[in-house]
Amino acid sequence: MNVPSEQTPTASTLSAGGLPIEEVDCPLCGRDDAEPIAVGEDFEYHTTRDSWRMVRCRRCRLLYLNPRPAPAALDAIYPDDYHAFAFEPARFGLIHAVRTRLEARRLRRWCRGLPKRARVVDVGCGDGFHLQILRRYGRPGWQLEGVDPSPRAVTAARRAGLNIHAGTVEQVGLPPASYDLALMIMTLEHVPDPLASLAAVRRALKPRGRLVVVTDNADTLDFRLFGRRHWGGYHFPRHFHLFDAATLGATAAAAGFGVRRAETAVSPINAMYSLRNLLVDLGAPAKVHDRLTLDSPVGLGLFTVLDALQAARGEGSVLCATLERSGRGRVLRGRFGGAR
Amino acid sequence: MSARTQPAPVVIVGGGLAGLTAAHALRHHGIPFRLFEASDRLAGLARSFRDADGFSHDFGAHFITNRLAAALGMGAECRTVQHYGEVVRLGGEDISYPLGLLGVPRFDLSAAWTRLRDAVRSTASPNDAATWFRHNFGRALADEVALPLLEAWSGQAAERLAPAVGEKLPGGLLETLWLKLAGRLTDRAVAIGYCGALPQSASVWHVYPEHGVGAICARLAEGLDDAVTLGTRVQRIRVEGGRAVSVRVEDDELPVSAVISTAPIHVLPRLVEGTDALERFARFRFRPMILANLNLEGRHLLSDTVVWLPERGFASYRVTEAPISMPWLAPEGKTTLTVDIGCEVGDDWWTASDAAIAARCLEDIAPLVPDAARRHRSHRVLRTPIGYPLFMRDYESDRLRLAIDGTGVDNLLSVGRNGAFDHLLMEDVYCRTLAQVQPLIDELLPAVRAA
Ligand SMILES: Cc1cc2nc3c(=O)[nH]c(=O)nc-3n(C[C@H](O)[C@H](O)[C@H](O)COP(=O)(O)OP(=O)(O)OC[C@H]3O[C@@H](n4cnc5c(N)ncnc54)[C@H](O)[C@@H]3O)c2cc1C
Ligand SMILES: [Zn+2]
Repeated sequence: MNVPSEQTPTASTLSAGGLPIEEVDCPLCGRDDAEPIAVGEDFEYHTTRDSWRMVRCRRCRLLYLNPRPAPAALDAIYPDDYHAFAFEPARFGLIHAVRTRLEARRLRRWCRGLPKRARVVDVGCGDGFHLQILRRYGRPGWQLEGVDPSPRAVTAARRAGLNIHAGTVEQVGLPPASYDLALMIMTLEHVPDPLASLAAVRRALKPRGRLVVVTDNADTLDFRLFGRRHWGGYHFPRHFHLFDAATLGATAAAAGFGVRRAETAVSPINAMYSLRNLLVDLGAPAKVHDRLTLDSPVGLGLFTVLDALQAARGEGSVLCATLERSGRGRVLRGRFGGAR
Repeated sequence: MSARTQPAPVVIVGGGLAGLTAAHALRHHGIPFRLFEASDRLAGLARSFRDADGFSHDFGAHFITNRLAAALGMGAECRTVQHYGEVVRLGGEDISYPLGLLGVPRFDLSAAWTRLRDAVRSTASPNDAATWFRHNFGRALADEVALPLLEAWSGQAAERLAPAVGEKLPGGLLETLWLKLAGRLTDRAVAIGYCGALPQSASVWHVYPEHGVGAICARLAEGLDDAVTLGTRVQRIRVEGGRAVSVRVEDDELPVSAVISTAPIHVLPRLVEGTDALERFARFRFRPMILANLNLEGRHLLSDTVVWLPERGFASYRVTEAPISMPWLAPEGKTTLTVDIGCEVGDDWWTASDAAIAARCLEDIAPLVPDAARRHRSHRVLRTPIGYPLFMRDYESDRLRLAIDGTGVDNLLSVGRNGAFDHLLMEDVYCRTLAQVQPLIDELLPAVRAA
């Protein structure tokens, strides 16, 4: 079922680069009064020649892309080799193995206390990376499902034998009050209407069900250093909104969730890509910036160590929030606590 | 009237950048409006001219920023301006602005002396432009450079101008140094002192749309055809009980819920009837300008994009070679020098023929480009009676009141460069107009949603 929302994007127009774009009001508070804080291009995949503007809402402080690609543009901005569709062991070797280990540890923690026959849904599951980990390390009785709107991702995930609902979480109509745990891992920043997506997830959760949200943290050192253009978390033009602890808390509360636990965790990606984007933008030779990609163990290792130092101060690169449907949790303001 | 009928439209006076920015914002929120433009085309001062022989001309060296381009979804059709620089011509020598001026010992000494003296002898804050410049720049730099330029540009004695003229200059030295350096390193003309409403940074630089700077107005006007009427002047704005209630266009009376005017503020009192709240703006003055675009053989005839001419010998106060920054504005091997002449409507500059103006300008710039006359191929002379708002001390308090309190009629906004009476460049016009229209949108939105 499609959730009608407050959003009234103007009819989409074509950008100068030929992409359907739309202007939007703040996805959190609905106001149209924001200050531009960054301008950048698609430094990673070069899917368009357009430039993009990240703005900060003057009322609720949410960061959002405006204007942004309209729904009709999604095929164009997610290329075939987009990492979430094609994180294959063959291509990523050692990195795949290490990442699987690390993610397995996190996932197990989020799954702690789940009943034997729990029903779990991964919203924005991509090629099913996390679901496969759960299948391998979780309990055999768990019923695992995924949701993703990208046909390419759905095909890959189904090929791995996973049960996937094709479409957005608003569209697919998950059975109400049915799930013990929902995951939204690096998903919330991509969806056009975060409140509507969260509302759809909330309906699907059992009364005591939980939702784990993992998203980029826009309150970090690399954001402050690179935030005017090159910050990796912008991922122009695919991240439609970006959160810090306060705005994520406010978004959860606005969607009727309570925050049960919130923390930041280590990820090398944003800091590494900030540097890479800077080098790409300055026209550095590929030899140099190729060291700073998802398939480079050296880059990933180095930036993991750097981010671990940040995470110890509660400023890790990703925000992880465990939300509960009850809505009785408190809304956190300010910094999240340190990892663990 | 039932709560369900659509409220009367907002009327927008003028289809320049400010009027179109307002229109675009109202359309986004579904607020009904009508826009009337007196001339037969949109864009106003942001209009671009294209000549058959391949030269493009704007009102001066017009460019925007990559940030404004991104706001309009136009990034992909904008070219990066790689370099922009200004020099000051003194004693036959071109000194770069602002950093080169710091290397002139007599300017530094005099500035240091002024600082010292003013620190000891606590002086009242300056209340005219002459005192302001002498206080902030030192007497030598003020008297040799800043004040002669100010006077040639404005046609007024600096003592009669408000200090606000000076306060418009770009901020800190260290920041300027860093931004200049960043521009060098990235091969981009980083915007310095261009936009007051938003922070400057190494990530904001100048760009120019493929189809001329007027393309940004065309972009904003997309999809607004049903509400835009060209060749139609708003003749009257009727105010009753302190609120604008209707406008007269083509001898019809059109009810309005609000009026957003981008007309020059000094004509607004003549348009408005039913209140004398705006009378105080009638004496605001603009400096008329002639921009003589001389198309010449050759390129890089000046030492940098803009040459300021403070010395008395020149009729012009500024010459610009826009193709140094934007090579695409002229065919290869050719260039355009734009000579700015401050004048008065009806004086002998204003009434001279284009050819006579071109001839006088070629002679004027001979010290810079000795063979200019031989290189001259063609010209296009632009005249505008509203080149720059003049901040005269006589009405400075009224000017400040306009900025703070608005027009004195609640639902009558006066926005844009001429409406707000401020030296706004395009990104500021865009930002300021959005900010000024926001409260009106908040006020009208509930009624529109209810209808
Ligand atoms: C010499 C010069 C150089 C400049 N250089 C730069 C630069 O390098 N970079 C930059 O960014 N900016 C520059 N600017 C500023 C920029 O051009 C202006 O800020 C901007 O175009 C102003 O837009 P506006 O809508 O406020 O006013 P305008 O463009 O003047 O628009 C007002 C419109 O209202 C219409 N109008 C007036 N009265 C009525 C009426 N009664 N009924 C109907 N219509 C009416 C007029 O016909 C006009 O089209 C320069 C300006 C000048 C004069
Ligand atoms: Zn907001």
